[in-house]
Amino acid sequence: MIKIKNIKKTYTKASVSTPVLRGISLSIQRGEYVAIMGTSGTGKSTLMNILGCLDKPTNGQLELDGVDVHGLDDDALSALRNKKIGFVFQQFFLLERTTALDNVLLPLIYAEKYPVDAVKRAKKTLVSVGLEDRMEYLASELSGGEQQRVAIARALINDPDVILADEPTGNLDSKSTNEVLEIFSRLNQEGRTIVVVTHDRAVAEHAQRILELKDGQIINSVANSKLKNSSDH
Amino acid sequence: MTRIVRITRESVRMMAGNRLRVFIMMLGVAVGVASLTMMICVSKGAYKEVMDIVNRQGPALLQVRPGTDRHTGLPSGSRAVVSLAEEDVNAILQHVGNIHAAAPVKDRKGIEVKHGDKFTLTRIFGIIPEWSEIRDFGPSKGEFISEEDISFAARVCLIGQTVKKNLFGDTEPIGQTIRIKDVPFTVKGELKQKGVSSAGRDRDDRIVIPITTYFKRLFKDIHLSQIVITVEDTSSMDKTVEDVRAVIRERHKIAVGEPDDFAMRTPQDLIDLAYAASRSLINLLTGIAGISLLVAGIMITNIMLASVSARRNEIGIRRAIGARKNDILSQFMMECIFISLMGGILGTILGFGGSIILSSLKVAASKVTPTALLASIVSCSLIAVVFGIFPAKKAANQSPTNALRA
Repeated sequence: MIKIKNIKKTYTKASVSTPVLRGISLSIQRGEYVAIMGTSGTGKSTLMNILGCLDKPTNGQLELDGVDVHGLDDDALSALRNKKIGFVFQQFFLLERTTALDNVLLPLIYAEKYPVDAVKRAKKTLVSVGLEDRMEYLASELSGGEQQRVAIARALINDPDVILADEPTGNLDSKSTNEVLEIFSRLNQEGRTIVVVTHDRAVAEHAQRILELKDGQIINSVANSKLKNSSDH
Repeated sequence: MTRIVRITRESVRMMAGNRLRVFIMMLGVAVGVASLTMMICVSKGAYKEVMDIVNRQGPALLQVRPGTDRHTGLPSGSRAVVSLAEEDVNAILQHVGNIHAAAPVKDRKGIEVKHGDKFTLTRIFGIIPEWSEIRDFGPSKGEFISEEDISFAARVCLIGQTVKKNLFGDTEPIGQTIRIKDVPFTVKGELKQKGVSSAGRDRDDRIVIPITTYFKRLFKDIHLSQIVITVEDTSSMDKTVEDVRAVIRERHKIAVGEPDDFAMRTPQDLIDLAYAASRSLINLLTGIAGISLLVAGIMITNIMLASVSARRNEIGIRRAIGARKNDILSQFMMECIFISLMGGILGTILGFGGSIILSSLKVAASKVTPTALLASIVSCSLIAVVFGIFPAKKAANQSPTNALRA
């Protein structure tokens, strides 16, 4: 599903270069649930931005569902994100004065074709994350957990190949955290590829595989609850 | 539903959620467009007023008055007041080409006229038959002054509609006798109704009599108030004016270098005069409109830039879920265009209202015109594009990762 080879990312500011990713290679299979772990500043979010085609690496190759992303222009990358990737962020990033339903419909605005059953689809997605009675609420009227579930529904509306979640439980209480993680597990069981970036081991342990990042490099790739060195990076 | 329709709907939805911002931006555009609309209405009004005068008088009319003030034609000294005589008319007819007709005119206002126990103060015009055609002032009833009336200095007259009302009420005036300065005159006709002039003068409050009668039986005077001339070919008006000037100067024995003791006024002079009068108001309104539109534009840029900054996360998430740079650009431009158009509509309504008020208060003549509407639409669209493009581009060019950094 996702293949990256020797990805490097260096930020340069005022002629000072700061390497953030120092040559990462990994492969994520379709239907896999992967957690990328690491402390603050290890390059987790940078890696996720590159995996999500939001940012370009300084060096290296990224292949998404068989497509080499390297040669794609900005419009093609936008179309790729719209079709193949669903994002979930720590801050939810919902449009506050917009209803839950309209937030979920948002990615369809930028879809190649607007489905005739868009609203029906959005409602069904909201039901699937347990928000059937919150559809017409403004995002600002929802609790943190509900907002994150709207964000998940928004990520799912275009039926993407992969869900990329950056610290999805970072702003949630334990009850909402469990609800969100349960949704991810269910989606994974349904065959969806999930990549979660987190610093929280408890969150990471819901994944099938945990990648540990340190100083811009993967130092460990372990199967869930069974720590062992891996050679696929 | 096409992509642009979806984005347009999205723009409208986002504006609906930011009513205060939209209202402030709209108000800025409305003020600018209102000034522009008023400026156009006032300048069109001024133009219409002038053209009404010109049309009333005819484009071929040339007036010669005693005096030296070219613009007003008002007398400016004793020599000036008595400078024109019937011989001048004869000389013009004899020596100047391109003349269709010329007529001497003498008039005096505030003359007492009686009929039975009724009386009125009115203006008396001494004229010849050609005057009727030159000034388009024929009879509505009865007959006009004839050559015979001129030859015999007949005591006949035609009365204007206001005089008729004052002296006769509803009774038939033709054939009746009125007394002008105690001299009896027979009413042989009624003049066409002309209404009020642009200077506010009642053009129906007058009596016309043969010019010979005026001089022989009413006032012992030989000097004219004006000579009215119509030319054959209006394109040669300038040359005709110079020829008439040369003939009168020669007859008046005015030496080279000496100023004229008469003034001539062409339709173009009237246009220049009216434009000069309304120019300062138009200039003022043009200045206000220009500054207002510029301020509105700067305000749009400012508020849009602030909005782009405040909506950084929104831009980021839209980019993340698949919006192209052009989609973001279109969304922000649509917002600008909608706001500007709404402001334009409001401004046009305010501008039309304002110009109607200016007109009714007689501050300036104004005319509600489609040109103003067109100018409003064009100006507010230009404002939207010129002043909205920079913030919209800034929004579109934000990197998604930067925009999503909280």
